[in-house]
Amino acid sequence: MSQMKRNPLVLGRKSLKDITEDIVAPVESFPSKGWLGLFLSAKTLFIFYIITLGLVVSTGMGLLGVNHPNAWGTMIITFVFWIGIGHAGTLISAILFLFRQKWRTSVARTAEAMTVFAVMTAGLFPLLHTGRPWLDFWLFPYPNQRGPLWVNFRSPLLWDVFAVSTYATVSMVFWYIGMVPDFATIRDRAKNKIRYMMYGALSLGWRGTAKNWSHYEMVYLLLAGLSTPLVLSVHTIVSFDFAVSNLPGWHTTIFPPYFVAGAIFSGFGMVVTLMTLVRIGFPEFKNYITLDHMEVMNKIIMATGLMVGYAYGSEFFVAWYSGNLYERAVFINRAFGDYGWSYWCMISCNVLIPQLFWFKKIRRSIPIMFVISIFVNIGMWFERFVITVTSLHHDFLPSSWGNYAWSPYDTAILAGSFGMFLTLFLLYLRLFPAISIAEVKPVINVGYEEGKH
Amino acid sequence: MSEMNQHDHDHENHDHSAAPKERDSRYWLSLDQWAQDPEFQKMAEQEFQSSPLRESDGEDGWARREFLKLMGASLAMASAGCIRRPVQKIIPYNKQPEEVTFAVSNFYTSTYFDGSEALGLLVRTREGRPLKIEGNPKHPMNLGGTSVRAQAHILSLYDPERIKTPIRNLLNKTKTNRDTITAKWEEIDDAVVKQLAKGGVAILTGSVNSPTGRAVIGDFAQAFGARHVQWEPLAHEEIREGQKLSYGDDSLPFYRFDKAKVIVSVDADFLGTWLMPTTFSRQFSKARKDIANMPKLVAFDSAYSLTGANADIRVRIKPSQQIAVVMGLAHEIIVKKGQTRFAGNASVKSALDPFANVASQLALEPALFTKLADDLIQNRGKSLIVAGGLPTLTAQSQDLQVAVNFLNSALDNDGATVEGKNGLPGVGASYSALASLVNDLNKGTIKTVIIHGCNPVYALPEEFGFAEALKKAEMVLYTGDRNDETGRQAHFVIPDHHSLESWGDAEIGRGVYSIHQPTIRPMYDTRSLGLTLMTWAYMAKRGSKRLTTYETYYDFLRSVWKEEIHPKVGKGQAFEDFWENVLQEGFAGSLADSSARNFKLEALSGVKPVSSQGYELVLYPTIALGDGRLANVPWLQELPDPVTKICWDNYVCLSLATAEKMHVREGHLMEISVNGKKHKLPAHIQPGLHDDVLAVPVGYGRTAAGKVGNGIGLNTYQMVSIQKGLPIFAGAKAEISNTKMKYQLANPQGHHSMEGRQIVVEATLKEYLKDPGAGMHKHHVFSIWPAHAYNGHKWGMAIDLNSCTGCNACAVACQSENNIPVVGKKYVIQGREMHWLRVDRYYVGDPANAQTVFQPMMCQHCATAPCETVCPVAATVHSSEGLNDMVYNRCVGTRYCSNNCPYKVRRFNWFNYAKLIEKPMHLALNPDVTVRVRGVMEKCTMCVHRIKAGKSKAKLENRELQDGEFTTACAQACPTDAITFGDINNPESRVAKLFAEKRQYAVLEEFHTAPNVRYLSKIRNDDQETRPGSHGHDSKGGHS
Repeated sequence: MSQMKRNPLVLGRKSLKDITEDIVAPVESFPSKGWLGLFLSAKTLFIFYIITLGLVVSTGMGLLGVNHPNAWGTMIITFVFWIGIGHAGTLISAILFLFRQKWRTSVARTAEAMTVFAVMTAGLFPLLHTGRPWLDFWLFPYPNQRGPLWVNFRSPLLWDVFAVSTYATVSMVFWYIGMVPDFATIRDRAKNKIRYMMYGALSLGWRGTAKNWSHYEMVYLLLAGLSTPLVLSVHTIVSFDFAVSNLPGWHTTIFPPYFVAGAIFSGFGMVVTLMTLVRIGFPEFKNYITLDHMEVMNKIIMATGLMVGYAYGSEFFVAWYSGNLYERAVFINRAFGDYGWSYWCMISCNVLIPQLFWFKKIRRSIPIMFVISIFVNIGMWFERFVITVTSLHHDFLPSSWGNYAWSPYDTAILAGSFGMFLTLFLLYLRLFPAISIAEVKPVINVGYEEGKH
Repeated sequence: MSEMNQHDHDHENHDHSAAPKERDSRYWLSLDQWAQDPEFQKMAEQEFQSSPLRESDGEDGWARREFLKLMGASLAMASAGCIRRPVQKIIPYNKQPEEVTFAVSNFYTSTYFDGSEALGLLVRTREGRPLKIEGNPKHPMNLGGTSVRAQAHILSLYDPERIKTPIRNLLNKTKTNRDTITAKWEEIDDAVVKQLAKGGVAILTGSVNSPTGRAVIGDFAQAFGARHVQWEPLAHEEIREGQKLSYGDDSLPFYRFDKAKVIVSVDADFLGTWLMPTTFSRQFSKARKDIANMPKLVAFDSAYSLTGANADIRVRIKPSQQIAVVMGLAHEIIVKKGQTRFAGNASVKSALDPFANVASQLALEPALFTKLADDLIQNRGKSLIVAGGLPTLTAQSQDLQVAVNFLNSALDNDGATVEGKNGLPGVGASYSALASLVNDLNKGTIKTVIIHGCNPVYALPEEFGFAEALKKAEMVLYTGDRNDETGRQAHFVIPDHHSLESWGDAEIGRGVYSIHQPTIRPMYDTRSLGLTLMTWAYMAKRGSKRLTTYETYYDFLRSVWKEEIHPKVGKGQAFEDFWENVLQEGFAGSLADSSARNFKLEALSGVKPVSSQGYELVLYPTIALGDGRLANVPWLQELPDPVTKICWDNYVCLSLATAEKMHVREGHLMEISVNGKKHKLPAHIQPGLHDDVLAVPVGYGRTAAGKVGNGIGLNTYQMVSIQKGLPIFAGAKAEISNTKMKYQLANPQGHHSMEGRQIVVEATLKEYLKDPGAGMHKHHVFSIWPAHAYNGHKWGMAIDLNSCTGCNACAVACQSENNIPVVGKKYVIQGREMHWLRVDRYYVGDPANAQTVFQPMMCQHCATAPCETVCPVAATVHSSEGLNDMVYNRCVGTRYCSNNCPYKVRRFNWFNYAKLIEKPMHLALNPDVTVRVRGVMEKCTMCVHRIKAGKSKAKLENRELQDGEFTTACAQACPTDAITFGDINNPESRVAKLFAEKRQYAVLEEFHTAPNVRYLSKIRNDDQETRPGSHGHDSKGGHS
């Protein structure tokens, strides 16, 4: 049988030099008006976000819509949302690396950058949503002079502190280590002193020797190995915040896998959103981030979308099958109560709309996949809204039922978090090589003639 | 550090003493040493010659102690040279007043009078300021119970908007000017004395139940030829008129709900707002504690009153049906069944005949009516029929009273459960007296009006013409605590003492006197009404000897007690002993015996059936605000109504069918036209209301109450119409239309059905008699973990839902005790209310005819508390005595505990509420309880400070803690004794015994939170075999 030939991972018959030139171009050239416009608006949103957070911290949590019985709201919802988004990056860069999926090379860097920024955006929320954020250091166990008072190791929130901080550290180190050879490339090409100094420092004295490469490969492999369990553990532990409590709608064993699947789903949704935008902003990148790449990611979106759909279904099944009065009431209310609209919004965005990816044409259509990926993002935010609010607002005693008091500050915090994320991401696109030069070069078909084997 | 020093020092000592003798001679440092040269040995002994660390000083002047001394001295000198923050030493008392110990509470007996009921109090004071109102347990009427307003009136003492000096209103001709200036006492007194000389004086007061008050006003009125008019918005005039028509004497009777086996209430909200609700609640609940023989309460209710909510059988009616209910019952008993001594009396029969088919007319089950009649016949002399209050003030209010009196006489209740003349001797408020005053004002015969303790300009409809008539008086004097609606119409506003600042007394039943002691020195330049009148009499040199001789009102009071009260109730004690005793006990005397009176049958002939169609308006006072006088007390404004659960507003209650007919949703703004005038009120859809009834609370819509009360709700006293000089509060024809405009009502309770969950357990009496644990599904719960060990005390609380009437006194007591902030309407709507203790109200059964259950809900102090495990910083922890402690200092405010609390009783400080407390309201804060900062969680502590204080006291006195020695604020305030607090580990304690009862259950027991707060099921004496609908399907769904 004649061998099935895979589509090339890099289009346009690039030479090694072309690759370097193409990828380094955004770092070495002056930003376009488009980028500047985006950056200025993102930055304004970011500043607005800082002011909003400042007001909330200085005046009190009462500015947000949190109340009794909904003691958690936008901040926690958006925290889980951003943490979830972070998952795709590590999955692509670590797990796919270990599985030797070569297509990952051109998207891994940006996906990982997304992870780091998403975790940074997310990491602020649990700290700022406390009543007294200036005392957040009490959440960390260290020998202290307050008694000494120790933290409560039984609390899932504490596990969360460890999980998220570990994840943030490891993914940041992993991301950085991957960039070191590329920094050296930029350093070596630098025509002015500042750039030389800056990237010289960032490249940690990389010389490109065989020994360098040997160590580098080993560290990268180890970090990939270290990150892989984290992809599963972080969202598992985030789900414990909910699953370990006794609230109907939270207290379910399905949460860890359900959360991880949802996180990967939302992460790939965000990667597709960002990649379509990167392809528009830097047309040369279309040769590296090809339609094939996008299609593969769309397939993952569809698969994980089905997984969360299965989770939604099984939650309802268990609510009915368990015979638990309270759980059943919560789920009926979830679908048909005051917040039923958010539930159906979640179902249609997360389960129904991704089914369009069964069609190859849609999988390979940039505008359609962009729209669908936005729906996935919306749907996944609503998933967290549904979990947090609909479970809290109708719990055990009907007397304490009450709706979330959504306020303008909730909107500001939600929108502002995108300002923070986009500001960081846009800066990244201009300052760091957005595709791994060192990793793309080995996957081009050098030395092979097209059509011949 | 000190330990380390000690260690070094020991080591060093050892070296010194041991070195010369036992040094190993194999090792040597120098030849001298090796030779054991004595010079060297001496030197070695003093090796560290200049060391300041040497212990023994001997000849060396620089030994350690000296060194430390010098160090200390030089430090002191150094610091003396520096500028430091000045030290501000506080000394609690320079001269410690007698009886007052710093940080120890003192309790004084006193009395609170709300215009109708007088409650015996113990006022808790700390360092000379009253902090908390407690009921006086020995007091013969309320027996330690209090009402929400009695609890809350302490905050009115610290109201920042009390007037602090006399005020002159700069009135223009139309009296619309609002400018005021401060006046001097001399200026006012001179002007008044001059004016009084002109004659034509009237004194308008609220009901005066104080014998001394009556004496001083009486003496003054006599001296100046003045007229004394008593008037209150909630006047009880109809009862007195009815008594007069029926028995020839117009004094109020005293009712004995504790002696009645069958109680029929026709719109008399005796558990909520009618006459003496706290006393009646005590009596009622006491009788119901004996469940097997519990009395039956049947309520015919037009508004959904608290009494209706607690009735075994509640029948919804409209005001025009009230007479038919009572007369129909009489017909059933006397004509149909031929019972009682009036059977066969022709005139009675002819009077009753028009009411032959009442049950069918009222759309009642005839069986229910017949059964009720049978019950009444069986319990002759042990039943009680009551009617009264605003919802009975129709045009036929006196006929209703006559009918009720007739039925009570026929059933031999008069003299048994109705004690003629014994009730509230001083309550003489009357609309007709006020109407004649208005008449005289218009005629110009009254020149001077002195107004005290009532607010007629606010609480009378324009139609009554009071405000207009008042403008014709030459001089209007108003004595009160603020320049309110009536004060603004007065030339001078004379600041009166707050009731906690003044001496007084009350006659709380015929022959029972209660003393009213001040608990704080007057905070401002105020003067009591008594002294004001005495001053004017003295200046005018007119009046009785006692009016003009005494320098203080206290002396006057004592003289009245000495000359009038002591001879009556002194029992031969010397006056000084008697007086001491009264101050200590808080009261003197006892109720006189009462016997049956002759019913004047001719009164009955006037009672005719009333027919009515269309909507009928029912105005009613609320538990929280009553007549509206305390509208500026934020605790009361934020207290949810026990039945509707709405706070910060009044509204119009519509039945479900009416709402559906007009497409009304909760909060739609309705336009009501009564008596040709239009009013706009938001709609509240009230289950269990008669379809033709529009029920509207009064007491809202103040315009000059203060920052808190102004503009809250609508002044619905303007809906009252006047017929023949009498107010019509109920039964007036009304039109209603839906404007469809939306208005948001603040309702802190989210949902009103138990959704089939086992939350409030209810059983019928018949079920209970078969199985005391009826109606509840006991879950099999177990734990794989060992439980906490409680070796000493284990505090617990039992709440008897069969006693609880849902009056909310506990909620306000808790707020007062624990410094709980008020958040305002906006934030109640957002779900931010802070009440540690809330009284949940659920509707049961058919929504159109819903019954009600109440459940006080606070932190359940779970033994396996879900909140404790999830707090990341261990800010909420389990105490060794079974309490769930909240450590405010430790809390960072993740609010995870609140999410994981199945009872949702934790409250979060969303803002810095403590900073918003306006002076001098901060004086009302309880120093025993932390004022919480922003960002921390708080909740019921089971009054842990009281537990600590109680334990300390027992320890100081070197004895065991006694059961019932102290209790929580909620349990103390409860007028029905529904809350019992104590040590569960003590098998003899009341709470331990209640925990062992079969009616006991834990809410959400199946989650094994193992709460230390337990509930006792509610029993309904409604002749039913089983409770339909309420928890029939619980046992199916309750497993988990």
